[in-house]
Formats: sequence, C-alpha cells, structure tokens
Amino acid sequence: MSRNLARRDLLKLGGGALAASWVLAACGSSDSSGSTSSSSGGSSSGAVKDVTYWAAFATPEGQKYFQQNFVDAFNGSQKNVRVKMDVKQLMTLGQLTNTAVAAGKGADVVYADGPSAALSFAKNGKTVALDAYATKYQWKDRLLPWAYDVSEVDGKLHSVPVGYGSLVLYYNPETFAQHGWKVPTTLAEFEAVCADAKSKGLIPVGAGNSGYKAQTEWYLTCVLNAAVGPKALHEALTGKRKWDDKVFVDAITLVKSWIDKGWWGGSSDRYFTNTDTDMFTGLAGGKVAMYMTGTWSFDSADTFFTGGKKWDWAPLPSLNDAVPAGVYPLAIGTTLSINAKSENAEAAAEFIDYMIADPSRMLGMLAATGTNPAPLKVDANAYPAEVDERVARLYKAIPQTKNLGYASWSFVPPKTDTYLYTEFDKVITGDMSPADFCAGLQKAFAAELAEGSVPKPFTPES
Amino acid sequence: MSTTTAPPPARRRHAARGRLTAWLFIAPLLIVNVLVIAGPGLMSVYYSFTDWDGLDQADFIWFSNYAELFGDPDFRRALLHNLLWTAFFLIVPMSMGLLGAFLLSRIRRGQLAFRVLFFIPYVIATVVSATIWRQILSPTSGVGPALSDLGIPLLDDVNFLGDGDIALGAVAFINNWQWWGFLVVIFLAAMQGIEPSLYEAARMDGASTWREFWHITLPSIRPTFMFLSLMTVIWSFLVFDYVYILTQGGPAGSTDVLSTVMYRAAFEEQQAGYASAIGVILALISATTVCGYLYLRRRLRWDI
Repeated sequence: MSRNLARRDLLKLGGGALAASWVLAACGSSDSSGSTSSSSGGSSSGAVKDVTYWAAFATPEGQKYFQQNFVDAFNGSQKNVRVKMDVKQLMTLGQLTNTAVAAGKGADVVYADGPSAALSFAKNGKTVALDAYATKYQWKDRLLPWAYDVSEVDGKLHSVPVGYGSLVLYYNPETFAQHGWKVPTTLAEFEAVCADAKSKGLIPVGAGNSGYKAQTEWYLTCVLNAAVGPKALHEALTGKRKWDDKVFVDAITLVKSWIDKGWWGGSSDRYFTNTDTDMFTGLAGGKVAMYMTGTWSFDSADTFFTGGKKWDWAPLPSLNDAVPAGVYPLAIGTTLSINAKSENAEAAAEFIDYMIADPSRMLGMLAATGTNPAPLKVDANAYPAEVDERVARLYKAIPQTKNLGYASWSFVPPKTDTYLYTEFDKVITGDMSPADFCAGLQKAFAAELAEGSVPKPFTPES
Repeated sequence: MSTTTAPPPARRRHAARGRLTAWLFIAPLLIVNVLVIAGPGLMSVYYSFTDWDGLDQADFIWFSNYAELFGDPDFRRALLHNLLWTAFFLIVPMSMGLLGAFLLSRIRRGQLAFRVLFFIPYVIATVVSATIWRQILSPTSGVGPALSDLGIPLLDDVNFLGDGDIALGAVAFINNWQWWGFLVVIFLAAMQGIEPSLYEAARMDGASTWREFWHITLPSIRPTFMFLSLMTVIWSFLVFDYVYILTQGGPAGSTDVLSTVMYRAAFEEQQAGYASAIGVILALISATTVCGYLYLRRRLRWDI
C-alpha cells in the first residue's frame, strides 16, 4: 500500500541519512586515500605537527624496514612533529602525486621519480626552494656533487635525492659457464654472445615493456650510454649537439637491427608482451642470456634465483669501439621536495634531513633490503659487512670510476623523456625510422631546452 | 454547463508537498551530478581551449588543440579503432546475445544454469579477467605453448597481444567474452515478455523457427535491441579498461582508442589541454548518438 510521506517521515529519513554519512565519514577519515596508512599511532594534539608523506616500495620487507627505521624512529625522536606515511602502488605513485600536486593538494613531502619530474613541480611553483634548509642541514656537504647539481632548478635546490643507482648487465654465471661465454666488454664480444645465444634458442638480451611502458627508457639509457658515450650525451643535454646527430641515429639503428634479429626480447612482437618479471625468470632459468636493467632490481633479483642459483652483474659493455667499456649511467629514482601548499615545511625539511643525515641509516637499509641508498658521500669502508657483496661492489665502484653516464629519467627533461619511451615502440614495429625518431627527439628536447626545463648534467670525466 | 474551479488550498498544499518530496529525493543525485559531471565537464571544455600542461597556468589558445587533433595521426588512428570497435560490438556480441537468448528462451530445463553461466564473466572484475586472458594468450606460458607441448604447434608463432596486426581484434575478443553474456540475459528478459499466443498462432500457420525469430521475436524486443545498440555505440567510444590493462594502446598504437590517447596526453605527455579536447570530442560523439536516438523516437515517432 502506498502512502504519501509525512514531514515526520522525511525528518526520519534525513536524520538517518545524516547519521549514515557521519558513520561513513568516520570510517573514511581513518584513511581517506584508501591506501595503507602507516602512521605511528597516537592521537594528534594541537602541539604536534603532522607531516604527510606518500611512499612506495618494491618489497614488503623494504616497506617494513623503512617504517621502523625511518618513520617510527623519526617520530620517536620528535616531540612536536609526526610523520604520517601513506603507502601507494609503486607504479602509480608518480601519477598520483602529479595529479594531487597539480590540484594544490598532495603530501607535505612530495615524491618524484627523478630530478626530471621534480623539475616540473619546481618550474610551476608547486614545490618550494630548499636552499635555506640545505644551508641549515649542510646538504651540499653530504650529497655527491653531481646529485646536488642535478637537483637544482634555476640555481636553487628544489629536491633532495634519496635513492640512486645505475644500470648494469645482469647475467646468470651458471648459464655463461654452461655455454662457455665470457662476460662481454666490447661490441664484438657482446654480439658474439648474442649470436651464440640466439642460435641455441635463448633470448640473447632481455627486453620488454608489457605492463610498464617506461621500461623502454631503461634499455635506451643503456644503449645510448654504451653506444654514444657520456661525452656526446652531455653535449646533447647541454644543447651543443643535436639529438638527430649521426651518432644517435646510428645507436638507434644498431638496436633496431638487434630487435630485427630477435636478439632484443626475442622478437619485435615479444617485446610488447615481455615483462620485467618474465626477463628475470628467464635469466634464472637459463632462457635469457643477459638483461640490461637498473640496480633497483638488486632487492628483488634473489626472489627469481632459488635453489642455490645466483645472479651477478657486470658494468655495461661498450657498444661502440669509440666509447670506453664499463659506463655507469647515474640514475636518481626518488627525490623528495616540499609541497608549496604545506603548512609544515620546516617539519617536512626536518624529516627529509633525517633520511640523509646519517649515512649508516641508509647503509643499514641497503644491507637489510638492498634498497638503493641516497647519493651520499660515503667512505668505501663504511659499508657494513652485511651488505651483499654484489651490491657493495656497485656502490664502491661508482665513486672510483670516471666513466659515468646519464639515465634519461634523471637528466632528460620530462616531455622528451616521455617521447623516448612512447615513440620508440614505432621504431620497433618499423612504423618510424631511426632518423625520424631522432628528429622527433631533437624537436621535443629543443622546446624544453628553450623553456629552461632541462636538469643540469654533470660534466663527464671520461 | 461545467465550470472550472481552482483547486482548494489543501489540495494545492498537498501537491506542493509532493513536488518538494520529489525534489528532496532527487537532490542528492543532482548535487553529485553537478559536482562530478557538470562541473568537471565544463572545466574540460574550458581547458580544451588552453595549453594547460596539468601543472602550469593555462593560457587561452582558442581552437589550436582541435586543429592539432585532426592533424594528429595517432588521434586519427585511434578514432578509426573506435569505429572498428563499434562495428564489431554492434555485430558480434549483439548477434551472439540475440542467438543465445533466443535459444535459451526455447528450453525449459536448465535455463537458469545457463543464464548464470553466461552471466558469470560479466560479474568478474575487468582487471581480473584481463589478467587471466593475458596469461592464456601469453606466447611464453599460454595456450600456444601448451598446445605445442601436446604436439599441436598451431599457435607457435602467434602473439595475440604483441602483434600489431591482430592485437586490436584480440582485445575486442576478450572484452566480448565478458560482454555477450550480459546481452543474453537482457535479451532473454525482453523475450520472456512476448505474448506466447503470438508464437502459437505462428506455429499453427506453419512458421519456421527462423520466421518466428524474424517476425515475432525481433520486432517485439525492438525497444530493448535499440537501447542496447545505442549504449553499445556510446560504450564503444568510451572503452578504456581492457585496452589499457592488456596493451596500454600498444604495440606502437595499434590498439590505441581515443580514451587511451587522451589518458596518455593528460598523464604522461603533460598535455592536459590537448587531452581535454579529446574528451570533448568523445562527449560530442556520445551526445550526437543520444540525440539521434531521441530524434528517431520523438520526431519521427519510431517505435524504439
């Protein structure tokens, strides 16, 4: 039976809806982002300043370690500041941050996946200059010079790098021994291993971008550094050499020829369905001969190598006889800035400083989880004995070598970087020639160079 | 002689209260729609006339984004893919849905079990079904290598999602797997409303099954058919999830649709103004489709 609603009924309905919305709001307020809130607990009082921080981790162990030894430890050492860490998905943290910061929201401590992304925030006034804090906390004395310089925008420090690494050649020593291969250091040796691996049914060089398109820039960073060399790259990054110069076209042509031969990822179509996980699984199983990728995989590579199997790495081989072997492209994977809308900038700076103030804290995390450390000035003897020998070898080698290169997401401006990994797909499928690809690269870079959006690269020594 | 008299005050108050009640019920939805659809929609139109990169100040550039759109080969290819997608979904799943529903309507035992079976894919989360299908079609661990192990090397060199010539079809096939069962259930519900005496009369006249379908079933469910066709056109232009999860528009744009191009422009290439222009085009296509439908119904009095 239907009847009209009386005023009383409406009030009841309205009251019920209001109560329901309060309940929902109360439930939601504990974690409005829908992500895992990892605050240290305790209720907030008027005197305590909350500093929000969005983070992402490659492994649960890394997250747990960071929570205990950085967030909880910092909160325990403070009376008036409390860091509230929200853990997001690693693949989407950058995009979430971009959207939030663009809208004038986001965390107090702003994550960026490299100086290039941090530069975008700085150029648009979304993050504050950190020079006063840099002076107060002596960050210039603590950070490696190249890392400090690349974090400056128009002469002012806008981000603090808290995770750095490089790109290397991963291999399975057992597979190499089985086939009688020697770790390649020259183009001829590299091509000889590739040809032999292909003839034996292996994928010579792991590659693929399924699930994460930007993986392509990892491979291109390796190729450009090893085939063009840091000197020519520096010239291009400073506008003294064009990206459509013959050396770049030749490098892209070279990698295209390897793709056509089935050396790179197995075949051109496989490239689009291979994942990073597939490649490490293949490496462990003896189906992939070599894999050029980042040292951020140091903390997860062991998960693929079980049953006593071991992975190892070597510096990138030279892919051009005119370029010295063993280049280490420097890559900053995580930078922290302070949101221009933050009401707790001082406290946010204090937390950032806490992360890099004591190198032993970073090295402890490196030892426990393999997480890439901040680019701090660290004595070779400071590495704890617990740090995996393969990991320590990298971080001891980088300060000693003069053959340092450039990772695209750290030194190439953002739009040019996106061009690199989105348009290269067309080179793989043959829809675009290497020359046209490089011409487009030059066009994108020239526009950003004119805008002043290119991070400042260090001068190569080699 | 009849006289027109004004309704008494009590009736007027009653009617006013009824209207107020209706508005109170509709108000929450209206507010939500204004906040999450109309507001951002109007902002998108505004940003489509600017060079906004998502962070910086937006400068007015009038129709430059639209002019650039139609000269952009990636946009044109994506638009073509949307048209192909629409044609595929208007033909294949609609035919499968109609056929499935018609056959189901003619059985009595086990009908519910089939309905549940056909509907299950629809209730599986897109990301789950896409991930399962990606595994099934994987050239390293999917059905191809499995057949090869059984001595049937039929799919050895087929990379469904990695080969640009077949990737769009593969993604459409996977989306159809989820979609057609839903159409079966909707068409079946419509068919169950058809007067049984129509079929009895046809059978008495010696009509074949095909003629029953063509002359009774199809005309009787025409409103449902037309509505689902309309929604298919709109959804085909808004498709994003399967394409993004399975291929992200690759290889090299061979599965790009307008929404993936828009997403990439907004969130990867820092061209939020340009992405807004694509969004406006998408909205115009959907609006045109709806207007066409309404025109046929109201102006031309089509019974759809």
